[in-house]
Amino acid sequence: MRRMKILLAAPVVLGSAGCVQVSAPEKPIEINLNINIRQEVVVRLQQDVRDLIKENPGVF
Amino acid sequence: MSRRMKLILAAGIGLGAILGTTTAFAMMQDASAELRASGQVGEQADGYLGLVGSAPAPVRAQVDSVNIKRRAYYTDLAAKRGAKIEEVAATTACELFRTKVGAGQYYRLPDGVWRQRDGGTPIPLPSYCG
Repeated sequence: MRRMKILLAAPVVLGSAGCVQVSAPEKPIEINLNINIRQEVVVRLQQDVRDLIKENPGVF
Repeated sequence: MSRRMKLILAAGIGLGAILGTTTAFAMMQDASAELRASGQVGEQADGYLGLVGSAPAPVRAQVDSVNIKRRAYYTDLAAKRGAKIEEVAATTACELFRTKVGAGQYYRLPDGVWRQRDGGTPIPLPSYCG
């Protein structure tokens, strides 16, 4: 019986250990500017991005 | 309730719904422009809006809402063009720095410092902006 109690308790302990605290962060999307942007990629995407901005005035 | 009254009531509710939707739509139309104009929010080189200082909860919520939408558009375009999400986002930032950040509004370059755009001069763009 004691063993059973331990077995029953195990998932509870494991469950709470695996629980990840999710709280709304101050800034959900962190600024990450350590990326290497290549100019050729920017030039290639430029027209698409201009259209995107024009078509979604509220978002941009 | 007479039939006529019901009709008037229904018309009123209908009109209210239409007005409400239009107002919500109009507000959404320039959400990011209004946020930038408030001075509490600025454009970042990573392609997202950022809080310049500590902003009240409603402002934070609006920024989050806009940024979630941006992220979705970036993801979509990146998949379409075989580019990285960050590349699409950074390209968009270049364009927003050029065209959307007005005099007195805030921007944040890759050095992470918030600056206020002064009237006459354009924002000094990162070299990759081309």
